[in-house]
Amino acid sequence: MFDELLSDLKAKFPSVSIELDKREVGDSVLIVDAASLFEVSQYLKESTRWDFNVLQVITGHDLPPDFIAVTYILASYRQNSELLLRVKLGRQNPKVKSVVPLWPAANFQERECYDMLGVQFEGHPDLRRILCPEDWEGFPLRKDYKAAESYNGMEIYPQEKLNLADRQFGKKGQKSVEVTETVE
Amino acid sequence: MSHDNKTEQTVLVDELEGLKTDLLTLNMGPQHPATHGVLRIEIKTDSEIIASAKPYLGYLHRCMEKHSENLDYRGIIPFVDRMDYLAAMNQELGYCIAVEKMLNLEIPRRAEVIRVICAELGRIASHLMFFGTYLIDLGAFTPFLYAFNEREKILRLFEEVSGARLLYNYIWIGGVWNDFTSEHLTRVGEICDALHQQLSQYENLVTGNQIFLGRVSNVAVMNEELCYAYGATGPVLRGAGVKWDLRKNRPYSIYPELDFDIPVGKGEMGTLGDCYDRYYVRMMEMRESIKILRQCLDLIEEGPIMAKVPKVLKLPPGEIYHRTEAARGELGIHLISEGEKKPYRLKIKSPCFTHVSMLPAVAKGLMIADFVAAVGSIDIVLGEVDR
Repeated sequence: MFDELLSDLKAKFPSVSIELDKREVGDSVLIVDAASLFEVSQYLKESTRWDFNVLQVITGHDLPPDFIAVTYILASYRQNSELLLRVKLGRQNPKVKSVVPLWPAANFQERECYDMLGVQFEGHPDLRRILCPEDWEGFPLRKDYKAAESYNGMEIYPQEKLNLADRQFGKKGQKSVEVTETVE
Repeated sequence: MSHDNKTEQTVLVDELEGLKTDLLTLNMGPQHPATHGVLRIEIKTDSEIIASAKPYLGYLHRCMEKHSENLDYRGIIPFVDRMDYLAAMNQELGYCIAVEKMLNLEIPRRAEVIRVICAELGRIASHLMFFGTYLIDLGAFTPFLYAFNEREKILRLFEEVSGARLLYNYIWIGGVWNDFTSEHLTRVGEICDALHQQLSQYENLVTGNQIFLGRVSNVAVMNEELCYAYGATGPVLRGAGVKWDLRKNRPYSIYPELDFDIPVGKGEMGTLGDCYDRYYVRMMEMRESIKILRQCLDLIEEGPIMAKVPKVLKLPPGEIYHRTEAARGELGIHLISEGEKKPYRLKIKSPCFTHVSMLPAVAKGLMIADFVAAVGSIDIVLGEVDR
C-alpha cells in the first residue's frame, strides 16, 4: 500500500518532498514537508482512493538537538487502513498549520501536543495547555526538561518525603540505604 | 421530554442570545459524582438549557508517558494498568501485544486463550460498572447493587489468579505470569451462566422501563458523521450504527477463531446514536463476551503459559502503532524504540480522551440533567483521559 500511496502523492504534489521511512520491524512512516502538511492531509482525507476519514491521534517526540517530530496517525474505517504521517519541525520554533478544519478531533490532540512539546499549531481555535495547569513552565516531554524546584510556592520533591530506600533498591554496588529517621 | 420539545428549546437558546440575556456559568465538577472521576465541565446555561460546555482536563494527570521513558518495558505494565483502572486487563493486553509485535514473539497457545478470557472478563466487569453507575446518574440506585454483585465475582476470580482486584500486572510480555487452574476455569463457566440469567433480569428491570427510556432516548445524539469527525471508537461508534470492531476488522490474538457478533445501535427507541443506543450496545456486548468466554473454555489446552523472553528486554529500533479493542474503545499504543532498554517515546491513544472532546459538540440545547446522562453514556474513566 505504501509504495502506491507514495507514487500517488508524488504525482499529485510534485514540488513537495515526500519520503517513506521504511523499517524492518514495526510500521513505516511517511515524512512530508511541514509547509505542505495541510494540503497533503486534505488530499488524503478527501480522495476516495485513500479516504482517511478519521484522525486517530496526534503525537510528538523530541529529537534533540535539531528537531521535534509531530506524527499524525490517520485511519480509514472504510478501507481498513492506517497511516503514520510525520512532519519534522525546527526545535527552536516548532510551528505547523493546524488541521482542525479537516478533523475536529485535532482540537484536543493538538492542545496536548502543544502542552507536552510546545509545538505551535497555527490557526488552532483555542491553543491552551490541556493536561498541565495553565501557569506551568516548560514542556515536559522534551528530552531536556527539568522539573522546576517549586510550583506556586509548593516545593516539588521535598527532601523529607523522598523514599530513598526505594530509589536505591536493586541498584548495582549499593546496599539498601538504612533508614535512620524515626517516624513519630 | 419529547424530541420535538427539544428542538424548540434549541431555537429558544438562539433567540435569547439576540436578546442580551446573561448566561449563567455553572461548574460541573471536579468533585461531582456524575463525572466519574475528576473532570470539570464549565457550563453556560440559560436557566435549564445549556448554551455551551467546556471540559477542563488534567486533574488526574500523572505524567505516565514521561514516566515510561525512564522505565524498562516490563516496568511499564503496572503504569498501563493505572490508566483505565476499571478494565486494566484490556490495557495490559494492548500494550503487551504492541511490544511483542516489535519483538516478533510467538505466544504459547494456552497463554493466548487465557489472555482473551481475561480481556473479555475485564470487558464485562467494566460494562457492568457502566450499567450500575449510569443508572445512578439517572436516579436509579438499585441496579448498581445488582451489577456490583456480578462484578464482584469477576474481581474475586482475578484476585485469586493475579493477586490484585483492580490493578493486576497479570499479562506479561510473552504470556501471562500465573496459570488458571481447572477450578478457576470452572468458575469462569459459572460466572457466564449466572451472568447470562442476570442480564435478562437487568433488561426486564431497566431496558424496557419507561422512565429510563424517557431519560435516554433522543438525548445527546452522536451520529456517524460526528463520530468520524471526532475519531470516536468503541461503543460510541457502534452506537451510531457503524459495524466496526477491531476484534473482527483487524483481528489480533485468537479472535479470528472465535464466533461472535458485533452489536450495533439501531435507533429503536428514538434517534440513531442517542444515549439509549450506546447503553444498548454495551448490554449486548456483554452477551457476546459470554459467547466468547464459553468458546475459550472449549479451546483451552494444556501447555506453557510463557514464551521464552530475554531477561534484559531490548526492542529493535523502529516504531509501531497498534490498536486493540479495549472496553471503552480503541486503545492505540504508539511505541518508538531506539534499541535501548527503555522506550524512546510511548504514546497512548486513549478512547476516553477523544470521547470527552465530543461533549461540547452535543451539549448545546440539552437540559442540565440530560447532560449528565450524556456524560455517563460515553463511559469515561478519567485515569485514562488524563494519563
